[in-house]
Amino acid sequence: MIVFADIMSAAILFAIPLLIVALGGMFSERSGTINIALEGIMIIGALFSCLYLDSVAKSGWGEKHAQLAMLLAILVAGAAGIIYALLLAIASVSLKADQTIGGTALNMFAPAFAIVLSWAVQGQGQTTINIPTWIRITQETFGFHASAHPGFFEALVFKSLYLTTPIALIILGLTVFLIYKTKFGLRLRSCGEHPQAADSVGINVYKFRYIGVGISGMLGGIGGLAFTTAAGSGFQATVAGYGFFALAVMIFGNWKPMRIFGAALFFALFKVIGAYTGSLAFLPDFSGIKSADNIYQMLPYVVTMIVLIFTSGKSRAPKAEGIPYDKGTR
Amino acid sequence: MSEYVVEMLNITKEFPGIKANDNISLQLKKGEVHALLGENGAGKSTLMSVLFGLYQPESGTIKKNDEIVKINNPNDANALKIGMVHQHFKLVEVFSVLDNIILGVEPNKLGVLDRKSARKKIVALSERYGLRVEPDARIEDISVGMQQRVEILKMLYRDNEILIFDEPTAVLTPQEIKELILIMRELTSEGKSILFITHKLNEIMEVANRCTVLRKGKCIGTVEVDHTSIEELSRMMVGRDIRFTIDKADVAPGEIVFKAENVTVASKIHKNNAVKNVSFEVRAGEIVCLAGIEGNGQSELIYALTGIEKMADGKLTLCGIDISRASIRSRSKLGISHIPEDRHKYGLVLDYSLAKNMVLERYWEPAFQKSGFIREFEVRKYADQLISQYDVRSGQGADTIVRSMSGGNQQKAILAREIDKNPNLLVAIQPTRGLDIGAIEYIHSQLIAQRDSGKAVLLVSLELDEVMNISDRILVMFEGEIVGEFDPKETTVEQIGLYMAGAKRNTPRTGSSDTSHTKKQDRRDEIS
Amino acid sequence: MRKRLNKIIHSHGFASFLASVASIGIGLIFGFVLLLCFKSSQSITGLGHLLFAGFSTPEKFAKVLYQAAPLIMTGLSVGFAFKTGLFNIGAVGQYIIGTFFALYAGIILQCPWWAAMLAAMLGGAIWGAIPGLCKAFFNVNEVITSIMFNWIGLFTVNLMIPNLPAILDKGVSNRTANLDATNASAIIPKWGLDKLLGSTYMNISILLSILIAVIIFIILNKTTFGYELKACGLNKNASIYAGISAKRNIVLSMVIAGGLSGLGGGIYYLSGTAQFTITKILPAMGFNGIPVALLAASNPVGTIFSALFISYIQVGGEAMQPEFAKEIVDIIIAVIIYLSAFSLLMKGLIMRILNWKRAKRLAAESEEVTK
Repeated sequence: MIVFADIMSAAILFAIPLLIVALGGMFSERSGTINIALEGIMIIGALFSCLYLDSVAKSGWGEKHAQLAMLLAILVAGAAGIIYALLLAIASVSLKADQTIGGTALNMFAPAFAIVLSWAVQGQGQTTINIPTWIRITQETFGFHASAHPGFFEALVFKSLYLTTPIALIILGLTVFLIYKTKFGLRLRSCGEHPQAADSVGINVYKFRYIGVGISGMLGGIGGLAFTTAAGSGFQATVAGYGFFALAVMIFGNWKPMRIFGAALFFALFKVIGAYTGSLAFLPDFSGIKSADNIYQMLPYVVTMIVLIFTSGKSRAPKAEGIPYDKGTR
Repeated sequence: MSEYVVEMLNITKEFPGIKANDNISLQLKKGEVHALLGENGAGKSTLMSVLFGLYQPESGTIKKNDEIVKINNPNDANALKIGMVHQHFKLVEVFSVLDNIILGVEPNKLGVLDRKSARKKIVALSERYGLRVEPDARIEDISVGMQQRVEILKMLYRDNEILIFDEPTAVLTPQEIKELILIMRELTSEGKSILFITHKLNEIMEVANRCTVLRKGKCIGTVEVDHTSIEELSRMMVGRDIRFTIDKADVAPGEIVFKAENVTVASKIHKNNAVKNVSFEVRAGEIVCLAGIEGNGQSELIYALTGIEKMADGKLTLCGIDISRASIRSRSKLGISHIPEDRHKYGLVLDYSLAKNMVLERYWEPAFQKSGFIREFEVRKYADQLISQYDVRSGQGADTIVRSMSGGNQQKAILAREIDKNPNLLVAIQPTRGLDIGAIEYIHSQLIAQRDSGKAVLLVSLELDEVMNISDRILVMFEGEIVGEFDPKETTVEQIGLYMAGAKRNTPRTGSSDTSHTKKQDRRDEIS
Repeated sequence: MRKRLNKIIHSHGFASFLASVASIGIGLIFGFVLLLCFKSSQSITGLGHLLFAGFSTPEKFAKVLYQAAPLIMTGLSVGFAFKTGLFNIGAVGQYIIGTFFALYAGIILQCPWWAAMLAAMLGGAIWGAIPGLCKAFFNVNEVITSIMFNWIGLFTVNLMIPNLPAILDKGVSNRTANLDATNASAIIPKWGLDKLLGSTYMNISILLSILIAVIIFIILNKTTFGYELKACGLNKNASIYAGISAKRNIVLSMVIAGGLSGLGGGIYYLSGTAQFTITKILPAMGFNGIPVALLAASNPVGTIFSALFISYIQVGGEAMQPEFAKEIVDIIIAVIIYLSAFSLLMKGLIMRILNWKRAKRLAAESEEVTK
């Protein structure tokens, strides 16, 4: 039973960055811009927030105000992400360039810059930025001690809980609310579906596309921090392809927030299941094959492909995405 | 206090090379339905776009309630209570009716949508004006008629007083048209003023109070509908001056080259078929013209003919061979040449050189390639020959990138390429669209030369001048059917105009081979 | 002669070239500014290394050529796909699979080098076909498919290698065998180039790559096949009107692009000096094909030069160590790519400057043409 709790909590942990970033991608695409640069944005967000965490850890202030520090780190990640994403917005919205160019450039720049900056701050060859352990939310945070034999819920919740998890759920709720229940959401969506219609009722399409990309930058940055905390070994100038994986989650979720949440959980489950072959009898453990963990590593990607093959026929992308908006055309 | 709620005075609007509106004046009375009549390209849409703020006129003034106003964008127009229902609806397909209506003027509390109060207002408007809609249905799921009502409600929701309709009945069924006419009457009885652009004469007679007629950018006049007739309107619309006549040899048409039987093609925009059970034939040595106002099925028929679209039903025969299922290339090889209606989209690869475009339809032939390698010398020679033979002018000859050539020369290039294939059937769709007189003259002479040499030519045109001058036989299409067949020598432009506008028809509607109860419904529709 | 020169100067191609040169210039300046920020005292030496290390010794020069070869291949791969309207971000997966096929053929099947290269091409082609088929028949976005298969490729190869003990190096479980020891005939021949340049790295791979680039150039520009592919990429509608099959071309294009990347992997790992090590991250060589292609505007011959350029500054970057991280080179490349988004703007500006008078004359001419 506890194994099940372990699996669930691991899955949730890995689903969170996917969720946040996929939601970010959704905001951008819903407004009409394809954001291939999510990978790079994640790295930049993680870079700056981890540098911040490292510095408050060194100064000692961090440990005393653990969750506040984490909250501030999240804000740093978001801010860094927004600024970085604006570079994409300028190239794609104002200059109307091919959206893959800006995205590719940002994806290349980020890891290189991360390494260079880390070296500059930490010294030669020190790529890894260590993340303090006190950011993890434990039973102590709430004032009681961990039990020797934790029950299902205690195991589920406290195995690996970071502030990013509840924040992600709040973001999810806000997203649903914003997209479907507000004036802002209605206008944003119209820019991605039918910018001429939006323009004809006086909506500034360019402004909304900038906002869409900006939000995707913010969420991408926060997602980068969430990924780094989930991965557990500190920031190493990479997010292992999660930025692209999040795009797949977004497409699988048909650009809808709750579906994206389901898709993120679905894929995260496949990602973590490989580690539990010992504990779960029904999972084949391929004992005869060397490096069999690669099979399980492949699994989320293979499953994604299968799902995409079956669902892409009916998939409904925002109609005007990827097409730079030109006011002149009618 | 003037009786006119809106006046457009001496409006001139120019685009590069064309004067779309030439010193036009139009005055709209409060509470009237004012029709704006004219052929394609007469300048009606442009004039209304000026009123709605989409274009700025070169000269002229607009007055609202006697005050001069400047309308720079749709927001200004809206502030003046002017609203427009466009011909191509500006509706977001995945949004509901309600969301589309409120987009841009959403009622809200601190940013949170207040759909409840919007719904109340919409339901009230809907009942007041008899505009039946389902507020929660998605646009992509509702009928075109309801979509149009949504566009109308958009205007009423914004308390617009002056309502512009751009070809509102173009996509409606007869039943929906009836409903729209009732709605318009209701709106004006409540004090709204309506301007509507149309080419359908019988509708004008039925619902309009006055009508302004435009022809080739100029205002011909404004008449009281009660004091005029369909014939007079038709005459004003198409005019009497025929620009030039071409000498055509008297050639007796030969064998049947192309035959279309019971062709039906589905429409992409609405549930009705775009082409309904059309049959006709083209013989060697004749030019047959499909005449009609744009949007009556001509495009879809040609797509089916060339193989770009599949037919829902019907049979196509070329020189005795059934090509109903043949691929585009095999049809081309069997002898169909095609001058498309949109030369940029379908006719040319703009970023290729002129030479490369010249062989677009033939590059695989042994003359132009050997074992897969393009024989550049041959291609060049061929292109040069066509260029000189057909007088195609360009900056750098065969090396010119086609994008930089003028429209007329681009069209000449396409013409050269297609004619030189020596086809059995030459299909030309609006071949002179957007061209100046010199190019038009040239293309006409080429088409006639083809006919004189025994080829079959199928022409689709919206220009009545062209239709009358060149064709040997005219088939008028209206709402997906052929409603009349004429010999240009024995008919008049006015007659054809009537058929084009749906006011008259020769052939009874051939519906499906269903039994009596549907026939009765058809008959009733016919009479009304 | 003068007229010809004039014609070249005023052409679109020349303006594109100048725009690329401008991007490169600005990128290098940006890099220099970074050097100044991090260690201004060493920045001039650092810049010197960056700009000149590639030519400093024959050995370094050989390295430039040797590294450029697989870059040319992946650059061709991405560029070829671009020309036909597709974004082949899956080049790295095709590269990995190609590598595996090459090593399998070389080590286990004991094939000579040219057979192993063909195997590499086959592997890459298969891996490229998959996104092509998914797009043509299932409408799945080729970018997502390619990305998924990059990782699937990596894990597949990581799975296969430990389970094929014959392919492994003695005593280790994560590295392929040394080709010298297992099958020297699988090593790409040197034809004396190593002695010419005094470097053991050097072999004929650069010549092979250049040859293939020329072949691709010929295919794209001189064959009916290339004619169809480019037409499809430029104007899908007009191509369909002309009877060209869009689906077939999408798949074929990806197959070829995949084959090229696969060859890239073969070229690198059949050199005898590199052994494939199992890693958890995607090899950079595969991804660097994208900037190579973008810089060259997807022109095959241009790809040769942009690959050489990128390889050159990468060698320069390595020489900058330990004072500066070699990643600065990646930053420079990224900036250059970003600037190519402005290329349309820059090109327009350049053309306006160069063609000030000529434009006036052309405008007057075209007025007459329409009369």
